[in-house]
Amino acid sequence: MVGTGSSPHVRRPASSLIWLVPPVVLAVCTASAGLLAPGEARVPVVWCGAAASVAVALASAVAARRGRVIHALRRRCDEREAELRGLLERQEAETRRLADLLLPAAFKMLQQGASADEVLGHVAPSPHAGTPFAAEHRSVLRSVVYAVQAEEGLRDSAHRAFVNIARRLQAIIHQQATDLREMEDRHGNNPEVFSDLLHLDHGTALIGRLADSIAVLGGSRPGRQWKNPVPLYNVLRGAMSRIMDYRRVDLHSVADVAITGPGVEPVIHAAAELLDNATRYSPPETRVHLTAVEIQSGVAIEIEDAGVGLTDETRRRTERVLELAERGLDLNDLGETPRLGLAVVSRLARNYRFRVSLRPSAYGGVRAVLIVPSELVTASATPGGEIARAATLPPPKVRKKPGRPLPDPPQMEHSAADGHTPGGLPQRRRRALGLAARAAAVAPADPPRRTEPAAQPTQPGIWLAAFTNALKGDAPVGDRGALSDDPSDEKE
Amino acid sequence: MSKPERAWDPGNPDRLYIVTKSCGQADPGVTRLDLVTLIVARTETDPGLQPEHETIVRMCDYPLSVAEISAYLTLPVSTVTVLLNDLLARGHVEARPPVPVAALPDVGLLEAVMHGLQNL
Repeated sequence: MVGTGSSPHVRRPASSLIWLVPPVVLAVCTASAGLLAPGEARVPVVWCGAAASVAVALASAVAARRGRVIHALRRRCDEREAELRGLLERQEAETRRLADLLLPAAFKMLQQGASADEVLGHVAPSPHAGTPFAAEHRSVLRSVVYAVQAEEGLRDSAHRAFVNIARRLQAIIHQQATDLREMEDRHGNNPEVFSDLLHLDHGTALIGRLADSIAVLGGSRPGRQWKNPVPLYNVLRGAMSRIMDYRRVDLHSVADVAITGPGVEPVIHAAAELLDNATRYSPPETRVHLTAVEIQSGVAIEIEDAGVGLTDETRRRTERVLELAERGLDLNDLGETPRLGLAVVSRLARNYRFRVSLRPSAYGGVRAVLIVPSELVTASATPGGEIARAATLPPPKVRKKPGRPLPDPPQMEHSAADGHTPGGLPQRRRRALGLAARAAAVAPADPPRRTEPAAQPTQPGIWLAAFTNALKGDAPVGDRGALSDDPSDEKE
Repeated sequence: MSKPERAWDPGNPDRLYIVTKSCGQADPGVTRLDLVTLIVARTETDPGLQPEHETIVRMCDYPLSVAEISAYLTLPVSTVTVLLNDLLARGHVEARPPVPVAALPDVGLLEAVMHGLQNL
C-alpha cells in the first residue's frame, strides 16, 4: 500500500535501525531476566519475554513502515502545493497583464478606429499560450473588445447624426442670414422694417450659435470657415452678436491683431459661449467687460462680469465639466451638464489649443480668460476693425474760399480713368495729386489732424454754413464766433 | 481691403445690430435725418469712440450728406442714421438741413427778373 518511489528506499537503512532498537532492548532484558530468575520461573519468563519481544518487534516494524508512508505522503503533498501555487501565480500575473496592458491597449486601438479583429490580431499573445487558462483569457478579451466596439460604433453614429443635423441647420441659418443681410440693404431706408430685420437677424444668430454648439459637441468644427484673417475687433463683435444680451457687453480696448481664417469661428464661438455665461449668470443691470490684450503666447481675451461669482461647489462642477470634455464628452453626460457652454468651450480649447481659466473677478463675479495661441494670431490688415477703417474714405477735399477760382484741372484724364468719379465733381480733382499723396492722406488719417488744434476756432465747413445761411437769409445761429471774422481769411 | 464686394458681407462676422448697438430703434425726439442732410464734424476724433463713429467724424471733415456717408461706409442708411444720432447726441457732429426748396425764389420769378433785365 505504500507507494514505491525511489526516495523511501534511500532512507531505509537509517529507519530500519531505529525500529530494531525496542525489540532488541526487550530481548536483552528478557535474556537477563531469564538468567536472574530462579530455576522454575526461568522457562515461563523466557517464554513471556520472547513473546513480548516478538510482539514489540512486530509493532515497531509496523510503526516504522507507517512512518515512512506518512513521510512520503507529506513530501508529495508539499510538491503538489508548490506546483499549484506556481500555477496560481502565473494565472494572477496573466490576469494582471490582461487588465493593465492588454485591455487599455485594445481600447486605445479601438478608439483610434481599428476594427475588433485588427485589435485582437495586434494584442500580444500570452506567454502561456496553449493552456486552457490562456484560451479563456483570450475569449474574455475577445468578448470585451467586441462589446466595446459595438458601443463605440453606437456613439460614433450618434455623433454623426448630431453633426449631420447641425450641419443642415447651419446651412439653413447661413442662408437666412445672407437673405436678411440683403433685406437689410434693401430696406435700409425704412427704419421700421430695418429695425424688425435687425431683430430677426439677432434671433437667427442665436439659433446659429446653438447649431454650432451641437456641431462642436458632436466632434466637428463649428460653423463656417473663413478664408481671410479677420481683425480681432470684428471677431469679438461677432462673438457679441451671438448672445442674447449683447447690449450689456462693453467692448474695451482690443489688441490690433487679426485671427487667421481657420481660427476665426472657434474663437468667435468660444468667446460667445463665455460671454453668454457671463451675461446669464450676472444681474441684468450689470455690465460685462470684454477686452483683449496681446501676450507672449498669443492673445488673451478677458471677460469679466459682476455676477454671483464662483462658489466652491460651482467651481468643482465647472472643473468637472471642463475635465469631462477634455476626455471627450459623452453625449449621455449632456443631460446632467448644467452649463452646456463650458463643455463646448473646453471642447474647442482641446481642439484648437486654447487655454481657458475661470477665476474670481475683482468685481465679485467671474473673470474668464481665453488664451488664443499665437499660431492663430496674425497681423491685422485693417487695424481697428473691418467695417469702419476699411471703408472707402472720401478723397480729401480742397477747401476753397468762396469766389476764388478753382484750381486748374490738368489731371482730369486721371480722374476720369479712376472710375470712382461720376463726372468732374470739383472735389475729385485733388485725387489726381497722385496715389502716394492720397495714401498719405487716407491711411494714417490721424496725424494730419493732430497738427490742427490751433485751427480750432475756424471749424471746417463753417464757410459752407455761412454760405447756406446767407442763401436762406437767416441770422447766424450757434457758436458763430468764427463767423464774425471775414470768412475769406479762413486758412486753406 | 481692396475687395470689390462689400467689406462686411463675405468676410466679416459683424452684424449690423452690433454696430448700432440698438436694434435700430430710433429714440423719439431725435433729429430726423434725411438722406440729404449734411453732416459736419464739430470735434476731433477721440479714442473712446467706436471705429464707425470715429470714421464718420473723420470723413465729415467737410460736409457730407447722409447718403454719401452711407455709401462710403457701405452701411445701410438706417444704420448710419443711428450712428449719426449717437454722434449728434454727444455733440461730435452737427447736422445741417439742406436748403429748403421753398426758400428759393421760384423759377418763374427768376425768369421774369431775367427778362426784365434783358429788356432794360
